[in-house]
Amino acid sequence: MEFDPGIFIGLFARTFQFWWVILPAIFLGLVVGAIPGFSAANTIIILLPLTLAMNPEIGLVFMVALYASSRMGAGIPAILVNIPGTAGAAATPLDGYPMTRQGRGQQALAISFVSSVFGGLLATVLTLLAMPWLAQAAFYLHSREMIVIMLFGISLIATIAARDTLKGLIAGFFGLMIGYIGADVVYETPRGTFGFLELYDKVPLIPALVGLFAVSEAFAVIEGESILSKRGKEAIQKAGWSDTVEGVRIALSKWWHIIWTSMIGLVIGVVPGAGAAIASFVAYQQSRTFSKTPELYGTGHVEGLVAPESANNGVTSGTLVPLLVIGIPGGATAAIMLVVLQYHGVTMGPDLFMENPELAYGPFAAMAVTYFIMIFTIAPLARYMSRITVVSTTYMSPIIISFTLVGAFVPRQYMFDMYLALAFGVIGYIARKTGYHTAAILIGVILGPLLETYFLRALKMSEGDVMTIFQSNLGNVLWAGLVISLVVPYLLQCRRDKRAASA
Amino acid sequence: MTDQEEKKKPERRSAGGELILPIGALIFTLYYFYTIIDVPRIAQVSAFFVGIILIVLIILLAIRIGKEVKAGTADLRIGRLLEPKSFIPKRLALLGLTLGFIIFVEWLGFTLTVFAFLSLAMLLLSEGKRKGLAFGLAAVLALGGYLLFIVAFKTRFPAGPFEQLMEQLF
Repeated sequence: MEFDPGIFIGLFARTFQFWWVILPAIFLGLVVGAIPGFSAANTIIILLPLTLAMNPEIGLVFMVALYASSRMGAGIPAILVNIPGTAGAAATPLDGYPMTRQGRGQQALAISFVSSVFGGLLATVLTLLAMPWLAQAAFYLHSREMIVIMLFGISLIATIAARDTLKGLIAGFFGLMIGYIGADVVYETPRGTFGFLELYDKVPLIPALVGLFAVSEAFAVIEGESILSKRGKEAIQKAGWSDTVEGVRIALSKWWHIIWTSMIGLVIGVVPGAGAAIASFVAYQQSRTFSKTPELYGTGHVEGLVAPESANNGVTSGTLVPLLVIGIPGGATAAIMLVVLQYHGVTMGPDLFMENPELAYGPFAAMAVTYFIMIFTIAPLARYMSRITVVSTTYMSPIIISFTLVGAFVPRQYMFDMYLALAFGVIGYIARKTGYHTAAILIGVILGPLLETYFLRALKMSEGDVMTIFQSNLGNVLWAGLVISLVVPYLLQCRRDKRAASA
Repeated sequence: MTDQEEKKKPERRSAGGELILPIGALIFTLYYFYTIIDVPRIAQVSAFFVGIILIVLIILLAIRIGKEVKAGTADLRIGRLLEPKSFIPKRLALLGLTLGFIIFVEWLGFTLTVFAFLSLAMLLLSEGKRKGLAFGLAAVLALGGYLLFIVAFKTRFPAGPFEQLMEQLF
């Protein structure tokens, strides 16, 4: 796995020749990413007959391009209509949607696309250069360390709760309890399922996401003629290419933010089973912690949009590292890629890098080329997609309800999931109307089961000793980091208040 | 109290609605505890930890609202949840249509149910105006959805008369 510039240059030149595969994959990825329920993994499964029939290299390029572009696509509805296309984009509407309501939807899309493309590109190039060391990360991060990483993400609840701490925490902890529904990972005992067999395998994320964000939003926005404020409507009608260019300029001016938040995504992506949702929540939380203007987060703040989008695209290349190096897929899409490659007789592991470097490094070259080609889609997509927001809620709300309920059905194909989405819609609507944050509930629902899984594994391995979570050196470093990231903003706020009082 | 004094009195916040979610969360948490009484300790500890914190938070909120009610700055009406009241019938009708969508999709199939839901919901929200646009848009979206979800993505939605007819024709 040594770095050889010759191989890489040849690989990139070769991958560019597959532009005819990459372009339709990008288009398809943007579409399926934007529809809740239609993830890249689902689409690759549907297209398995096609990818299995292809030459393995071309099939891999197709799957990687679709995977990378679907991440960017998931941010589009999150920004424009407050509906994340996947759980990985769940932190995107926190600042993306307020920007849209202010009539800055075009800018928000441009910022999101630039962050996605450059965050993803950077993480991919870094993965190529640092593959051997990154692969080690998966060996060092065990259940005990992952508990702390989960807590980094969950601490975002406290951030969201800043305006009314008590209500924010209630929403977050309620989400965690909902996330605990289902059979536990160690003893397979059903808990809190109300007798529904469909809930034994935990609360499915897409119906929760569809209900809390889409259905509740659709019921709430019918009060107005449009989702935009009056000023926002005027602004979007006047918006032109200059707004897109301005969005690109703003995003590029946050280059340092893109770099470090995409690195968070890359490292979390390397850990099998972690994923884009955790990465985007952790990146958002860290971005706010070290911001000079934390109070602006949640109001349409640029950095609050850059952080989750860079991070969830940083995850994309990270999930391929354990797949190629040790043969363990980092996520659902990587698992399907593994199936396709095994079908073609390709064996994963260090030998692949010696025997067939083109195939081993190929996915990263394909990802880098995909992100490069996607640069050219930023301006037209941002310019024209943002026009969706001027559609009257009379037409928008029914479309959102029907098509997102369809999305809730798709992943498991259970009618039950549509009812579940409606139930979450009612919870989300009550939460919105009474001042509870739906994002805090969703963070709990997403991260609750993961936290419990890692916690139970750690307890099982230590024979029930709770103190095991403090018995790892790396874990303790992460604990210190967590405490610092929670205390620093509080101290900074105290200092700001003191200065304001003395001024 | 004179009329002037009555007018000067600050408006009370309707805080009853804020208790709906916590009460639901409390009932669910107690039910959850009931379902894990007999499971091994390892499988209980995480849920008990989170659940007890949630209950404490709910009690703190109840105390806060209780104090506001006692001070006369809030009452237990659920006004905020229902406002604006003029939208209550529309919202309830939309909820009924959504529930109908989920129930009838099993018999009517994807395409016809989407068409019926979209046209009825659009007519409801536009108060019967622009019927042609509502029916036209609903038809285009239902057919587009059929082509995308069923034909292209092979989603196994319940097949209704339309899907069965299409299958026989093509």
